Amino acid sequence: MKKPELLAPAGDLERLKIALLYGADAVYIGGAFNLRANADNFKLEEIKEGVDYAHKLNKKVYVTVNIAMHNKEYEKVKDYLLKLDEIDVDAIIVSDPAIIELTKNTNLEIHLSTQASTLNKEAIEFWKKEGVTRIVLARECSKEDIVDIKNNINIELEVFIHGAMCASYSGRCVLSNFLTNRDSNRGGCSQICRWDFDLYDENKHLEGEKPFTFCTKDLSMANHIPELINMEVDSLKIEGRMRSIYYIATVVKIYRKLIDDYCHNSKNYEYNLTYERILRRVANRDSITQFFDGNFGKDVQYYNGRQEITNQDFLGIVLEYDEKTKLAKLEQRNYFKKGDKVEIFGPDKDFKFTIDKIYDEDKNPIEIVRHPKQIIYLKVPKKVSVNDMMKIC
Amino acid sequence: MSKVAAIINNIDEAKNIQNYIDAYLVPLKDLSINYIHTFILEEIIEIKKLNKEIFVIINKNIHNNELNNLEKTLKEIEKLNINGIIFYDIALVNLKQKLNLKTPLVWNQEHLTTNYGTVNYWYNKGIEYAYLSSELTKREIDEIKNNTKAKLFVNVFGYIPMFTSRRHLVKNYLDTFNLKSKNQNSIRKEGKTYPISDTDLGTTVYSNYILNATSVDLKNIDYLVFNSNFIDEKDFKEVLKKHKDKKENKFPIETGFLYSETIYKVK
Repeated sequence: MKKPELLAPAGDLERLKIALLYGADAVYIGGAFNLRANADNFKLEEIKEGVDYAHKLNKKVYVTVNIAMHNKEYEKVKDYLLKLDEIDVDAIIVSDPAIIELTKNTNLEIHLSTQASTLNKEAIEFWKKEGVTRIVLARECSKEDIVDIKNNINIELEVFIHGAMCASYSGRCVLSNFLTNRDSNRGGCSQICRWDFDLYDENKHLEGEKPFTFCTKDLSMANHIPELINMEVDSLKIEGRMRSIYYIATVVKIYRKLIDDYCHNSKNYEYNLTYERILRRVANRDSITQFFDGNFGKDVQYYNGRQEITNQDFLGIVLEYDEKTKLAKLEQRNYFKKGDKVEIFGPDKDFKFTIDKIYDEDKNPIEIVRHPKQIIYLKVPKKVSVNDMMKIC
Repeated sequence: MSKVAAIINNIDEAKNIQNYIDAYLVPLKDLSINYIHTFILEEIIEIKKLNKEIFVIINKNIHNNELNNLEKTLKEIEKLNINGIIFYDIALVNLKQKLNLKTPLVWNQEHLTTNYGTVNYWYNKGIEYAYLSSELTKREIDEIKNNTKAKLFVNVFGYIPMFTSRRHLVKNYLDTFNLKSKNQNSIRKEGKTYPISDTDLGTTVYSNYILNATSVDLKNIDYLVFNSNFIDEKDFKEVLKKHKDKKENKFPIETGFLYSETIYKVK
C-alpha cells in the first residue's frame, strides 16, 4: 500500500516547523506572487531556511506562485523563479502557464494549482505534456472523477482533505474586486462570500431565518482517508496558510494518525470518532465531504449570521522543560488558572492533568495566567518537549 | 478599427442588430455559463445565414463526465465552419490537438486572462485569439496589445459576471428556509443590487452596473464585445446603433476597471 504524502499549510517559519514536527511530509508556503498577499509571507532567506530545515528531515517544501499575474507581475516573476530554483525548493504551485515557459531551463518542478480548476482528464493530459508533474485537483471533483483520472493518466494527484472551501470555482470569483477594489486573484481576497446579503425576487425580499450568504461549510475528509489511500491519491492537502500553530498542529497530527492507522493495519482499521471530535472542535465550523460524495445541495451551505466563536482552547506552548524540577516553561495563549483540567499534546504524546502549581517568570507562585504571551512555569507530571502544546480538556 | 461583437439572447435579436455588428458570440446549451440564453447547434446554423462572423462560447468548467458530450459537440461545430470557439476549460485545447480540429480557439479564462506573457503562451500553442479579463486597466490592455500578435476581445458594454459557482446558491437558500421564488433574483448590499442567476449548471452573480465603455479609445483592439444579458432588446439595438454612429448611448458612462487599478496588498 502506497502511503500518500500529508501536505500542510505554513504561513511562516514557525508554522512550517510545527507542521513538519507534528507529522506533515511536506508543507506549502507563500512568498511573493501568492494568493495570500496579506499574510506574513516568506522572504527568500526564510524560504531557504525552511527548505534547509525540511530537507534535513527528508521532507519537502512547495512554494505557491499562483496569482493571476498582470503585466507588471509577469515582468518581475522570472527573477523570483530563478531564486527559488537556486534555493532548491521541491516544487512551485502555479496557476498561470506563462510560468511553465519561464521555468523551462530550471530544475523547478511544476504543480498546477487548484486555482486552475482542473476537473477532467483531457485537461490533465494537456498539462502533463507541458511538463506539469502534479495536479492539485479542483475541489468540485467527485470520488468517481478522481478514480477515472487516476486510472487513465499517470500523473501525481493532490486532493484537498480539510479546511475552508471557495464558494466559487477557484479563479472564477472577483467579488472582492467589485465590492472592495481588492484583487482576489492576486491575493487580495476579502472573503465577500462570507458576507450577508439580502436576496430578492424582483422586489420581494426573500427572507429566511438567517441571511443569505454564499458561504459553504468547511471540508473534512477524515472519514474517507482509507478510500483516498486506496484510490492511490498521491498527496492529501490541508487548507489554511493563515491558520494558527495550534490549528496546524492539531489537524496535522490527526491526519497523520488517520493515514498511519490505516496504512499499518488496513484490515482491522476502524474510524476513530475521537479524531473527528478533535477536528470539529479546533475548526469551530461545520464540515462535510462536499463534492467528493457529489453533494452540493442545501446541506453544504453555512448560514450562521456571521456569529463565529473564537476558539480559546489553546492555552500555551512549551518553550523548555526541566526534568529535575518537572517544570515546563510555557508561553500563554489563552486564560487558565490553578485547578483547570488540561491536556498536553505533542507529535507523539497526549496526557491530561489538573494544574496544581504555576509560577511567574521569576518563579513566584501565581494562581491565574491571564496575559497574552505571558511566560510562566508549570508543574507537569510527565516529560514534555519544546513545541508541545497545552489545551483545555 | 475594431470589429463589434455581440452576445445575443435570441435569433430575432441577432437579425435585428445585424446592421450594426460584425460578429455574434453565441453561448452553447449545456456548455456555457454566465449567459441568460444559450443556443443549440441548429440555431447557430440559422444565425450563420446572417453572414457575420460567429464565435461559439463553451466557457463552463468541464467536469469529467461531460467530456463525451464535449467531444461530440466539438466535432459537430467543426462541420459548421465558424470563426472560433471561445473556451475556458483546457480540455478544449487537448481535444483540438487530438482530434485535429481546425476551428480556431479563443482563450477566455475570464478573470485569469490578464497578461501578455500568458496570451503569448497560448498563441504559441496555436490559439490565435484572447478574450481579456474585465478587471484590467486600459493601460494593461494596451500593453498586452503592444506585446502580442494574438487578436484580442475586450468587453465594453453589459453586465459583467463576477462570480461563478457549481453550487445552487439561490435554490439552496430557498430550500433551507422553505421560500419560493420566480427566479428573477438579485442580491442587495449597501444600496447596490447584483443580479444573481441559479441554473442547472450553477450560480452566477453579475456586476451591479452596466459596463458602458463604448466611448473609451480601444480602437486598436480587434473585437469590442457588447453583452445583451438583462438588457432590453430595443435598448441594446440602440446602443449598437449609437456606437456605429460614434454617438454616446443613453446609459451612464461606466468604465469599470479601465481607469481603476485594483489593489491586493493592504498592509
